[in-house]
Amino acid sequence: MSTANATVPERLFGWLDERFGVQKLVDWAKHKEVPVGGHSMFWYYLGGTTLFFFTMQIVSGALLLMYYQAGETTSYESIRYITTKVPFGWLVRSIHCWGAHLMTVSLVVHMFSTMFLKAYRRPRELTWVVGFCLFGVVLGFGFSGYLLPWNELAFFATSVGTDSVKSVPFVGEWMLEVMRGGPDVTINTLYRFFALHVVILPLVTVGLIGVHLAFIQVQGMAPAMKQQTPDRPGLKFFPDFMMRDALIWLCCMIVLAVLVFQLPYGPGVPGIDWELGKKANPLAPAYPGIKPEWYFLWIYQLLKEFPPHLFGMEGPQAALILVNVLMGTWALVPFLDRKSRAGKPSPMFTDLAVAALIFLSYLTLKAWDIGGHLPAGEPDPKATAWVCSLIVLGVSASITIMRMIAYKARWFILSMAALLQVVLNGLAGLDYLIAGAIALAVAVVGVLALGDRLERGEAI
Amino acid sequence: MSETDGPLIAPNRRGFLNVLLGVSLVGWGASILYPVLRYLRPLSETATGPLKLTPEEVAKIEKEHFVIARSGTRKAIVFDVNGELRALDAKCTHEGCTVQYVPGDSLILCACHNGKYDLDGRVLSGPPPRPLATWVATRDGDAVTITRETV
Repeated sequence: MSTANATVPERLFGWLDERFGVQKLVDWAKHKEVPVGGHSMFWYYLGGTTLFFFTMQIVSGALLLMYYQAGETTSYESIRYITTKVPFGWLVRSIHCWGAHLMTVSLVVHMFSTMFLKAYRRPRELTWVVGFCLFGVVLGFGFSGYLLPWNELAFFATSVGTDSVKSVPFVGEWMLEVMRGGPDVTINTLYRFFALHVVILPLVTVGLIGVHLAFIQVQGMAPAMKQQTPDRPGLKFFPDFMMRDALIWLCCMIVLAVLVFQLPYGPGVPGIDWELGKKANPLAPAYPGIKPEWYFLWIYQLLKEFPPHLFGMEGPQAALILVNVLMGTWALVPFLDRKSRAGKPSPMFTDLAVAALIFLSYLTLKAWDIGGHLPAGEPDPKATAWVCSLIVLGVSASITIMRMIAYKARWFILSMAALLQVVLNGLAGLDYLIAGAIALAVAVVGVLALGDRLERGEAI
Repeated sequence: MSETDGPLIAPNRRGFLNVLLGVSLVGWGASILYPVLRYLRPLSETATGPLKLTPEEVAKIEKEHFVIARSGTRKAIVFDVNGELRALDAKCTHEGCTVQYVPGDSLILCACHNGKYDLDGRVLSGPPPRPLATWVATRDGDAVTITRETV
């Protein structure tokens, strides 16, 4: 390009290139390709959308920090000041709250799509593990941010949430006190959660995102298990994929804007609601209907399903062990799934993801008390279990039929076992844990007896 | 030349579309920037009414000959000149430091850049560009009230 005819951006680019060799970076970006043809491109954008929402959280969080004052007499008051007095303060807080939920939704869908597509398989095991850590960090963000307005709901939800830590063997009490800054939830807890929310977790997140993205840059995005047209050239990352990315980010922004303007204080569903309500009073008794955010509801419900004592342990302790075993298994999926590691279809893990969805949905729906109420106005557990199991059954049946037709799936042992628990608990009225034990036994016997035979003809 | 019609029109159409895109981008950016700028500007505290000094502040005048009192976002220096109470803006008009009363020299001093004012707030020496705004101090028994003089 001759310098005389160059436009201003071209000249600026030339100036930078002369000094920093930017052209090399552009050439490298142009060579990078995103696999095409194996499955919908949509799944490749979800990491980007999560990152977009995280960026929105950083920006809106920084803005909130300019007025928020952590303290016993200032936390609640400063949030009230932001939402009622500061111009567009309600908007900034609403963006932060909606953004948090949308980021979690985007992350969960990203994680499940990675699971279904087996994108975690060799050589991308560590990308999955780092992604799982990021999931944990996002849950930490939600949990620590929930307390910061210092209102009644946040106070009691944090009391319950942190209390379960004490059941960790040997170090439980110590962990509880470190977490709370004392034996109870006080303003010291808020100071600790505030430090965690605005300094520690953001630093950890930026580091983990850096590692996650570096892995993806080095290894490229995972191609589909069964590329229908292996020779098909990929989509150029720069500028083709990036332009699409930008367009999807714009769509995310529009969705966020619509939600923020239509429902500035959330849809009012327990766990997706940020009405400020009353100021926290550590001496006031708890009231019914205290619930954590929606992504913790399954743990909340699990704690309710466990009896006071089980196998010589306290109920919450046993529940915590179960949650940790499940989360640990999920984190180690790439190392457990030997079939996909060898590049072979691995329907058992596809079905494991469906089973996980059934398990989580049923508990979450139950925690929402969807179903009937007793004459006194309290939720009726039996009616709730009945209605929730019918919803889960209906949706699962449709998904199973879709899997059979669209993906020619034949491997349903784990998802059927998860459904069996739902039926036994919800429709037959069996205790949740007994139903779970029966379902687990059926799953183990089923996998041992039929697991390998069902795998023929499965694609992923 | 009919063949050149297309290429002649095309850049114009492209240019028009680019202008349209540019304008909508600027509009979009402005719609994001405006709330952020409004949000960042703090609300002004409009406490301009009379300010009653606390007993501690009154005691301080008696002990140290002056006190700095705050009314909303403004600060006033209230000082005792041979039994007569006077009050001035406490913010130096040079770089905004807080001034002090020097009873021995009968002047108001800003120690930051050695700005000196007389007891009516007029600049005596140093860099301050404007006099200090005057307040009215009234004593009723032990109670002292100051009010900013409206200009």
